[in-house]
Amino acid sequence: MTQERIFAKVGEKDVTRAIVSEFLTQFNEYVESDCLIIGGGPSGLIAGRELAMHGRRVLIVERNNYLGGGFWIGGYLMNKVTFRHPAEEVLDELGVPYKESIPGLFVADGPHATSKLIAAACDAGVKFAQMTVFDDLVLREENQVCGAVINWTPIQALPREITCVDPVAMETRVVIDCTGHDACCVKKLEERGLFKTKGFGAMWVEASEDLVVEHTGLVHAGLIVAGMAVATTYGLPRMGPTFGAMLLSGKRAAEAAEKQLQG
Amino acid sequence: MKKAGMKKYSHLYYEGTDSTLNICELASYMRGKTGMDVDMRGNVIPQDKDTQDFLAQEFAMARVINPQKEELNTAPLSAEIGYESRLLLHQKHSGLLYDGFCLQKIFRSILPGGEHNLAHAHIIITSRLFGTFEDNRYHARVAVFGAPSIISLTGLIEAPAKPREFYLRKQFGQDIPGLLKEFKDRLLDYNDSRIIEVLKGYLMQSFFYHVSGNPFCDDPHCRLYNAHWQEEVIFAQIGGEYEFCQRHEQGNLHHRDTEARRE
Repeated sequence: MTQERIFAKVGEKDVTRAIVSEFLTQFNEYVESDCLIIGGGPSGLIAGRELAMHGRRVLIVERNNYLGGGFWIGGYLMNKVTFRHPAEEVLDELGVPYKESIPGLFVADGPHATSKLIAAACDAGVKFAQMTVFDDLVLREENQVCGAVINWTPIQALPREITCVDPVAMETRVVIDCTGHDACCVKKLEERGLFKTKGFGAMWVEASEDLVVEHTGLVHAGLIVAGMAVATTYGLPRMGPTFGAMLLSGKRAAEAAEKQLQG
Repeated sequence: MKKAGMKKYSHLYYEGTDSTLNICELASYMRGKTGMDVDMRGNVIPQDKDTQDFLAQEFAMARVINPQKEELNTAPLSAEIGYESRLLLHQKHSGLLYDGFCLQKIFRSILPGGEHNLAHAHIIITSRLFGTFEDNRYHARVAVFGAPSIISLTGLIEAPAKPREFYLRKQFGQDIPGLLKEFKDRLLDYNDSRIIEVLKGYLMQSFFYHVSGNPFCDDPHCRLYNAHWQEEVIFAQIGGEYEFCQRHEQGNLHHRDTEARRE
């Protein structure tokens, strides 16, 4: 008598081949994309989702193995995230439950909001390269940003003296810098003397959310800045544990990218 | 009979303030107190596009990027100028910090050329927050006196310190809207009905600066008291035993008589 198995009979080699072939097919396809988003936090995810919903081929590069950035946890390591009106409208769009704390201020569960946002980006067709670190920008004539140089995140942990692992380059039509306060892409322009970031000011929740959204957009030919990278780029006040501006900045960045793609 | 000197005029303007601000009431108060010819000139920002483009760049350059450094935004980015243009167009509250003396210089450049003299006191009420650099950092201010004098509505709320207990309890995580409600008698907040009354005192400070070079008084009951705490502001402007100390009341009277003789 044969015992019935729950799972299909599959060998190790089949599992490995499935991973490799799927990964390489996707990687090969996204070596050239419409939009490359550096940073898989809330602004990057929402920007990616919006663009993918317009049929754009979008790849999000994330240095960690998890997506969502700081969205999982609010202030002081507590996993409730806050949003000021009108950002709850984005939560409605994503199907994230929330409650009104005081008029105009909404609170949601960090894990619920983040997982819904990631799922929404995936559903829209966004693809991801996790454990992948942004290394540099690809610049062409007149310093137009045309892509990004990337490498595996663990490479960073190897001592420079004993390793030389070259990165690879991805071509794209527009890059969105969603790397938070680091503003990694904009900083690469600064290293070459093409730009001067202004750092970020003291915390001022009331003012900074509006300012971040208002300043989101094209910062250099082929490069859009979104999320908290906007604060670093323009020297705007820091925001504290409120996320509405991240979502709206992501939307604004997608609009700016769409304009570039159509132009 | 003693001959009266040159007739004096005061001109009130606003910039970026909400429409609920009753400039009429302010003008009428100042007229009554000083006997001056006070007129209301509306929005100080000219409506022609070329001037607005020029001003957008100037305002972007007057931004304070780091409150710890006396460095301004000498090379503004296009998004910063674009943001300033939108502010001029929509007359919104901005949330940025500007250098008070630079703002004064910008406003001076758009005032009527024939009125740059001691006969004309120009007073601009703005929603922009500004500061002056002293003791190694920028300090937010309610007013910068001179030609023109500028008074900040945002500065009324943000510049004078709130009660010490407010900051202590905020530090321990108490919610800010609750604190604002609890301390409402001891501080001013946005859309506060007392602001119009408080503004009258700052208008009179501008007036005394114009006629005597000294806008302030040491008497905490007098509207000219140079308050550093919100409680002192409220006391001097609303809660004092009298509107003006004897010396400044006589100053008002003397000026009214002088103006009447000129009629």
